[in-house]
Amino acid sequence: MGHSVMIILGIESATSQVGCAIGGHEGVLASVHSSRGRRHAENLAPQIEFVRAQARINLSEISVVAVDVGPGLYTGLRVGVATAVSIAFGLGIPMIGVSSLDLLAYPVRHCSKLIVPAIDARRGEIFHANYRQVPGGVQRISEPAVSTPDDLAADLLAHGNEALLVGDGAVRYADMFANLRGVEAAEPSVAYPSAASIVQLAHAKALREEFVSPSELEPVYLRKPDAAEIEQQKRKIL
Amino acid sequence: MTSELTLGIETSCDETAASVVTSENVVLSSVVSSQVDLHARYGGVVPEVASRAHVGLVNPVIAQALVEAGVEPKDIDLVAATKGPGLIGSLLVGVSAAKALSLVWGIPYIGVNHLEAHLYSCFLEEPDLELPLVVLLVSGGHTILVSMEDHLQYSILGQTLDDAVGEAYDKVARYLGLGYPGGPAIDQLAVHGKNTIEFPRPIINDGFDFSFSGLKTAVINYVRQNPETPTEDVAASFQEAVVEVLTTKARKALVNTGAKGLCIGGGVAANSRLREAVFDICLEDGLHSFVPSRAYCTDNAAMVASTGWRRFLEDGPDSLDSGADPNLKLHG
Repeated sequence: MGHSVMIILGIESATSQVGCAIGGHEGVLASVHSSRGRRHAENLAPQIEFVRAQARINLSEISVVAVDVGPGLYTGLRVGVATAVSIAFGLGIPMIGVSSLDLLAYPVRHCSKLIVPAIDARRGEIFHANYRQVPGGVQRISEPAVSTPDDLAADLLAHGNEALLVGDGAVRYADMFANLRGVEAAEPSVAYPSAASIVQLAHAKALREEFVSPSELEPVYLRKPDAAEIEQQKRKIL
Repeated sequence: MTSELTLGIETSCDETAASVVTSENVVLSSVVSSQVDLHARYGGVVPEVASRAHVGLVNPVIAQALVEAGVEPKDIDLVAATKGPGLIGSLLVGVSAAKALSLVWGIPYIGVNHLEAHLYSCFLEEPDLELPLVVLLVSGGHTILVSMEDHLQYSILGQTLDDAVGEAYDKVARYLGLGYPGGPAIDQLAVHGKNTIEFPRPIINDGFDFSFSGLKTAVINYVRQNPETPTEDVAASFQEAVVEVLTTKARKALVNTGAKGLCIGGGVAANSRLREAVFDICLEDGLHSFVPSRAYCTDNAAMVASTGWRRFLEDGPDSLDSGADPNLKLHG
């Protein structure tokens, strides 16, 4: 696949926001996001058609589909993954999966503190991981995890380093992190993964040929399929 | 005119299915990947487990349906997916996949009502069934008696006021320790039992609505008080009560509507005693009965493709900003 013709469609729907972008070696050609009213399934396909037209690209010219694989909100995440996988399957092209946590850390890569993306996981929990600045980007230095904001605050306190929290989890639980010494929250304008970042990160991965086939791409849930739901089902005998 | 092809996708509950059907209603392929084993240990369908499984299965199942039909993506003229009713997380996987294929293949998309698709499952094997018909739709989620006056024109005569009939089967089976899914388990056991217990036939002579909650409770209370009763006799007697209620109301509907025949659809239509009873009453009354093969009673995508094509001819495509509706109702 020649780099000069590589066109990437990026899809992001792992948070309360849904969006997509098209780009390649020239950078991002077009992107769109919407966040009102949990309409991932309704909005995504028209968004793809819109950015395609804005970028003046035919869908048949797309060479790679990149998608946010989570962690994130399950229903929205699946809308993005199912859409992305079907587009790649339908066009017979490879895919690139990008972590939602990578997508949050990347735009704040110029910060020299510990970077901690924190995504609202509902049910009083957040998805998070630790990153540090490296030349040209960020590097993840801990496994993605799900925990309560309290637990994360305790970890940060024990760690003792200066840290930058970023993401809608950091915004939602701002009070819990406000009094931690050396810990700062990034502004809400960078609280959601952006589809433009997917295209940028996927482009770098594509140059390294880090492709997966549509059948290999899997969402990252970080939680078992809902223990509470299973218990409820077991009790629902009569 | 050459035949046009519809790709159908079904992910409303715990089956991932895809099918290719021609505009003449010929089924070229019908692939169903059941998740029953995934859910059996929980004693019922766990929505999050189902949604996760659909994501991994939907494209391989579509690919398989194309291969088995011997067609290429470029041959497909319409893509149809179940848009409701069902589990929202599961529905959205199929709807998203279908809309994506509509985009990249440049073909129209249509969302299909799962219940309407079940009504049309009879026509997959008998495309020339004469209307008007009465259709008894019985599954784990629904118990509906429908008068089908013409194609895509029908009215609901009655439905369950509480448990769906398949739900009653599952709950009784669970109480009897027969596992999940309950329908086939009770059906198989009932063959070896006798109809010795007179269980209630709730609201059997009262209108076209159904009620199975009281029957379920009566069975459980009976077993509590008479633990020595052979389980196969309990199963046979419960099944007999269910089938008598269903067929009595269906028969009355046939008389009231002047329909030419009776069809059944939905997962419970795979029940052997119900199939036999429907055949018997129609024979007695000189009416046509149609009982689809078991593969078309349970959830499948051939009925979705076939209904999608009919709806597409009638109403045109759905727009790409349409979604799914977990509570979608049946309305003609």
